[in-house]
Amino acid sequence: MARRIDYLFKETVTGLRRNGLVGFAAMSTVFISLFLLGGALLIGRQVGLVVDATTANVEVAVYLQDTVSQSQVQNLEGILRGVPAVDPSGVTYESKQQAYVRFKQLFANQSAMLQNVSPDALPASIRVKLDQPDQFEEVSAALGCTETSAGTLQCTQPGIDKVVDQRETLKRLFAVIRVFRVGVGAVAIVMMIAAAALIANTVRMGLFARRKEIGIMKLVGATNWRIRMPFIVEALFEGLLGSLGAILALFILKVAFIDPLRGQIGFMPLIQNTDVVTTIPYLIGAGALVAVVASLLAMRRFLDV
Amino acid sequence: MISVQHVSKIYRGSVPALDGVSVEVEKGEFVFIVGPSGSGKSTFIRLLLKEEEPTKGQIFVAGKRLDRMNSWKVPHLRRNIGTVFQDFKLLADKTVFENVAFALDVIGKPKSAIDTRVPEILELVGLGEKLNSYPDELSGGEQQRVSIARACVNRPLILLADEPTGNLDPATSVDIMRLLDRINRIGTTVVMATHDHAIVDAMRRRVIELDTGRVVRDQERGVYGYGA
Repeated sequence: MARRIDYLFKETVTGLRRNGLVGFAAMSTVFISLFLLGGALLIGRQVGLVVDATTANVEVAVYLQDTVSQSQVQNLEGILRGVPAVDPSGVTYESKQQAYVRFKQLFANQSAMLQNVSPDALPASIRVKLDQPDQFEEVSAALGCTETSAGTLQCTQPGIDKVVDQRETLKRLFAVIRVFRVGVGAVAIVMMIAAAALIANTVRMGLFARRKEIGIMKLVGATNWRIRMPFIVEALFEGLLGSLGAILALFILKVAFIDPLRGQIGFMPLIQNTDVVTTIPYLIGAGALVAVVASLLAMRRFLDV
Repeated sequence: MISVQHVSKIYRGSVPALDGVSVEVEKGEFVFIVGPSGSGKSTFIRLLLKEEEPTKGQIFVAGKRLDRMNSWKVPHLRRNIGTVFQDFKLLADKTVFENVAFALDVIGKPKSAIDTRVPEILELVGLGEKLNSYPDELSGGEQQRVSIARACVNRPLILLADEPTGNLDPATSVDIMRLLDRINRIGTTVVMATHDHAIVDAMRRRVIELDTGRVVRDQERGVYGYGA
C-alpha cells in the first residue's frame, strides 16, 4: 500500500510538472467557476436573509364589508386556514374597534388624523400571516379573487370588501431574487464546463506525452486503474486546489466587503462566517466531481484495452 | 499452452488477415512464424495478446479462453505473456534498471522483489554491468537484451517476439537468438514471428508458415522455405 501511494505521488508530481502551464489554466478556471458558484450560494443565502426579514411581517389583509355577518366571517376564516401557504394560527379577525386602537397607536403623534377618524370609519378585517410568503397568491385565489384592470382584487366570496396582498412589491422582490440566482448560477455552470474542458485537456496532453509508457504498461499487464490513477489524481489535485482558492477568496470577499457593512444598513441581516463555511463542502465536492468526471471522459476512448 | 482453432480475422472492408488458422503450441516449445509481409504474422501475435478480437474461431492461451474473457482480466493474461518487438520499445528517460523495474512496478510488485529480480534477469541477458546506462548509450543488440529482460522479469509462461532481430545485424541477431534459446530451455514457451531466413535455418525448430492469412506449412525442425 505504501508503495502504491509512493508510486501515485511520484507520477502525479511528474505529471503536474510536465504540463504546468495548462494545469495552471485549468486550476484558475476551476477557481473562477467555483468562486462564482460559491458567490451564487452566498448571494442566495443573503437574499434569503433579507427576504425572511422583510416578509416576516407580510400579511394579507382581507377587508370586510360593514354588513358582514358572523357566519360569513367564520366561513372566510375556515377557507383561509385551509390554504397551504397560510400559517393556520396566524389568521385573526380584527374588529372595527381593534382597527381603531391600532390606528391610534400608529398615528399617536398626529392628532389631526385621530380627530378626523371615528372608530366606525375603519373596516373590520381578517389578518392572514403566511408560512410561505412567496406563495401569497394562493390566498386571493382561495377567496375567488380576480385582478381588475385597476390592479385591485375583486372577490366572489360574500362579505369581502377588498383584499390587499402587497402583490406588486412581492412580485418585484421575488423576480429580482430569481434573476440573481439563475444568472449567477448559469455563469457558474458555464465556467464549470470550461473548467472541465480544460482539465480534460491537461489529462489528454498527459496521455499523449506518456503514450509510450502507457503502451508498455498495457503490454506488461498493468490494470486500467493503475494506468488511470495518476491522471485522475493529477486532475483531482487541480480541481481541489482551485476549490480551495475559491473558498479562500470568498472568505476574503466577506471580510473585506460584507463585514464593513454590518450595522450600516439599518437592521438588514448579513451573512456570517458560518454561511461561508456551509458552502465549503459544496465547493470541494463540485471541484472534485468536475475533475474526476473530466479526467474519466478524457481517458474513456484512449484507455480501452 | 496456446491453442488457436479455426481463427479468421477480417479487418473492416479488406481481405482476411487470417483465414481459418488452427495452431497448437505445447508448453516449452519454440515456434517460428514465418511468411512474407502482410501474411498475418503480426495479427497472429496481436490476437494472442487480446489486443484484437478474432472475427471467427477460438483462442486459448495458458488454459484461458480469450473471447469469453472479461476485459478486466486481460491485464492478468498479459502478465503471463512476455512481449518483444523489433523497435525495443524502451523508455529513453529511464536507465536499463528502471526500464526493467518499470514492468514490475506497474503491476504492483513490492520494491524488495524488484531489487532482487531485476539485477538477476539483467545478469542472465548479459547486461549485469550496465544497470545504470540509458538506452541511447547502448548498441541495438544491447537494447534488445534490455527489452527481453523486461519481457521475462515477471517469469512469463510465454514469450512472444515480433521480428526481434529485424533491426539488428546478423552477428548480433545470432546473440539474441542464443538468448531466446536459453530462455526457452528454462521452460518458457517462445513464439517468434520473423522473416530472417538465416536464423530460422540455423535454429532448426518448428516452423509455421503463413501466406495471405493461411497456414501453408507446419513443420518440426523446419527451415525458412523450400525455395530459400
